[in-house]
Amino acid sequence: MATITHEEAHTHTHGPELQHQFETPEQQKEAATLGMWAFLVTEIMLFGGIFMAYIAYRWAFPEAWEEAAAMLNTPLATVNTVVLLVSSLTVALAVNAAEEGKKRRLITMLVLTIVLGLTFLVIKGYEYSEKFAHCAGAKDPISWITGSDLHESHECLVPGRGFHFPDEHGSASGGHGAAKTVTMQSGHQLFFLLYFSATGLHAIHMIIGLGVMTTILVMALRDRFSPTYFTPVEIGGLYWHLIDIIWVFLFPLFYLV
Amino acid sequence: MSTLSLPQTSYIHDRSRTFAEWLKSWLLTVDHKRIAILYLLSINFFFLLGGLAATLVRVELITPQGDLMSSDVYNRAFTLHGIIMVFFFLIPAIPAVLGNFLVPLMIGARDLAFPRLNLLSWYLYMIGGVFALIASVFGGVDTGWTFYTPFSSTYSNSNVVMTITGAFIMGFSSILTGLNFIVTIHKMRAPGLTWFRLPLFIWANYATSIIQILATPVLGIALLLVVVERLWGVGIYDPALGGDPLLFQHLFWFYSHPAVYIMILPAMGVISELISTFSRKRIFGYEFIAFSSLAIAILGFLVWGHHMFVSSQSVYAGLIFSFITMLVAIPSAIKVFNWTATLYKGSISYRTPMLYALGFIGLFVIGGLTGIFLGVTAIDLHVTDTYFVVAHFHYVMVGGTIMAYLGGIHFWWPKMTGRMYNEIWGSIAALIIFVGFNMTFFPQFILGYLGMPRRYHVYPPEFQVLHVMSTAGASILAIGFIVPLIYLGISLWKGAIAGNNPWGATGLEWKTSSPPPTFNFDKTPIVTEEAYAYPPEAAERDAAAWRPGSPL
Amino acid sequence: MAEQHTHAHAHHHSDKHTHISRGTYYRVFAALMVLMVLTVAAWWVEKNLIEMPGWLAVTIAMSIAIAKTVLIVLYFMHVKISSRMTQIYAAGAFVWLMILFVITMGDYIARGWPPQAGPLP
Repeated sequence: MATITHEEAHTHTHGPELQHQFETPEQQKEAATLGMWAFLVTEIMLFGGIFMAYIAYRWAFPEAWEEAAAMLNTPLATVNTVVLLVSSLTVALAVNAAEEGKKRRLITMLVLTIVLGLTFLVIKGYEYSEKFAHCAGAKDPISWITGSDLHESHECLVPGRGFHFPDEHGSASGGHGAAKTVTMQSGHQLFFLLYFSATGLHAIHMIIGLGVMTTILVMALRDRFSPTYFTPVEIGGLYWHLIDIIWVFLFPLFYLV
Repeated sequence: MSTLSLPQTSYIHDRSRTFAEWLKSWLLTVDHKRIAILYLLSINFFFLLGGLAATLVRVELITPQGDLMSSDVYNRAFTLHGIIMVFFFLIPAIPAVLGNFLVPLMIGARDLAFPRLNLLSWYLYMIGGVFALIASVFGGVDTGWTFYTPFSSTYSNSNVVMTITGAFIMGFSSILTGLNFIVTIHKMRAPGLTWFRLPLFIWANYATSIIQILATPVLGIALLLVVVERLWGVGIYDPALGGDPLLFQHLFWFYSHPAVYIMILPAMGVISELISTFSRKRIFGYEFIAFSSLAIAILGFLVWGHHMFVSSQSVYAGLIFSFITMLVAIPSAIKVFNWTATLYKGSISYRTPMLYALGFIGLFVIGGLTGIFLGVTAIDLHVTDTYFVVAHFHYVMVGGTIMAYLGGIHFWWPKMTGRMYNEIWGSIAALIIFVGFNMTFFPQFILGYLGMPRRYHVYPPEFQVLHVMSTAGASILAIGFIVPLIYLGISLWKGAIAGNNPWGATGLEWKTSSPPPTFNFDKTPIVTEEAYAYPPEAAERDAAAWRPGSPL
Repeated sequence: MAEQHTHAHAHHHSDKHTHISRGTYYRVFAALMVLMVLTVAAWWVEKNLIEMPGWLAVTIAMSIAIAKTVLIVLYFMHVKISSRMTQIYAAGAFVWLMILFVITMGDYIARGWPPQAGPLP
């Protein structure tokens, strides 16, 4: 039988942030970090399924992929990449500020991160609306909203029944049906499907990340953190960086190659 | 047996005065033991539901004609059986009930690392279950539990989206449980409890948790894409639009083959505990059993293609998958041999949990060996999608997981409730289940080998004898499952007070009171010895002390 | 050297939390920006100046993406100074992705798919 001796009674000489199941703040912090990493592993595998589909279909339809990728707005995506990389830096600096107990800098960095995250989503939203505007027949989102020039565009890159990939850059051939049968099996639609699923799922994660950052900001404003306790900032940061990493792969895979 | 009444400070005992308060104290609890009880109740509910669907299937199969159900209803019945049993019973059964209750107790912690996440995982499980139930009430699903595309994504006109949503949400519950266990086992062990002093149940749950966090999300995305395909018809799995239905099978089995090990690994952990306790010997080959769990977890990720031998997967891939499949037999056999070696010269007492454990070994060997048959492409081509496959996986899942689940429930029942169940009824039920189980599923091996395909409700008359035998066995099996419900229920009021350690077992969970107090241990225990530290002569001493009439 | 650094950390990490200085963050960020410019430049060159075989373009873009990821994971996500367990989990995710990709693609390549590509001899 295992011998059991008893420790000194568990004395509660710690801050309110230590939960009852932990012995020491270090233990709690390490548990939180490891837990977050285990969660990030699941996130990576979640996106892994989409990447798997991407690899298989890209391998099957290399030409369609090249043609379809040319239809995406690379300059905007480049701007978005910069935005996300900068936000990653601000998150890293926020963690650093929390570590050093610099509340003002922490708050500045968190606000910057949230602003950058929103910028990313706005740009992304514009990109999406471009595609949807084309489906509605408009040339750009603005004329789509105002309802003018509704017959300027003949392409529709949103997967679904209306999907129509132009034959030669922009000039759609007369016979709608004929063009469709060609594009249907050529994988263009698969490219856009994967594009929308992957970036959409990424955008959902961005929105969650913004929620996390806002919560942390509120906590920071309420003085919840100290140089000994800033775990939420740290694990929230981990999540944000993961979103960034996924974009680091999505960007070249869809816009560049 | 020294105490006469249950301790007043246990986790079950509460001071709530009104019913609402009491309900709140359970539904909003963060205590891992209470959450385990919530899981116990809900998982057993789903088990009965899945059993009901199985009853429909077996009753229909008594006659060769389809006289009870139309083929469409039959499809929905076996799909309901599969989905409920796999996603809502087998996968969560042992980790979420026994694991939740025991992991913190066994490692000397006050709770899991993330108690609120633990509660959330129960709610996710329930929400997923509600979705699956609603889907079945409004017509059910006819795709089989595998949701194979393009049938599920393009053609089926049943409630696929709703059911998939349920499975998807339940997946998150599974992930959260796994994540919680990993962190808890890494960071919350009591002082002195090194990795090689951990009970093997903990090792098994750790390996399971790794599979849960690595594999489940892939299923999630595969199912999500089925929903996308169904809603917008965009072609991801539709060959007419350039997609590949087999991609779904790859993603699906990347989860669902390891999921088989999510079901069986914790069961093996339970068996290690039972065999050692009721042989009164330290387990033979501790390190081998521990590492074979991890080996199974890792190898399990490399063999998924053996579910796809005839699905137009490349024959070369099939060849490689077949070879790697053989490798899984090694760690599984290591476990069986080590359990057998533990029994050797042990002082074996045939208490109810031990009956289940011994049953497990026999049934798992049959289930495992037929798994090797199926892993050989030559045989698999012959018996693919026949009752041979059905019998094989029921031997592993029912003969493995359910036997271990019931064995574990009986073994830790005194710890969970503080009371003993009726030993005589326990043994009788265990025997009924063993006999009923073999009678149900052994004929199916023969049926399958003779060519009876699965998922058909009309069959040639010459198969009727075996089908009737199988149904008769299933009725016996059903009785075997209902009897424990009754005597375990009665034991809650009438059972003898168990005391802290009714089995004379080692392990930290037996050091605290039964039922344990809310924070498990009054003071954090310090561990100085290995698990299963039965003195070398314990078995012999036990055998010498045995007199006619003393409990077996 | 990095190895020793981690070890030292593991031994007395409770009070003096080893941390990455702000200077390092800025340097890593600069490296990330350089890599991003490189990858976009490679794309531009491929599109406008010289014909590049597809596999080369993919290799370049993926190598740069992997380099960026390594930088972010090691420095921004503190894996370089984390516990050994965290490092194993971080690496494990990518290993498992590779298992999924390699085995599945192995099937696709050996199978001859899509059908119009024809089966292998």
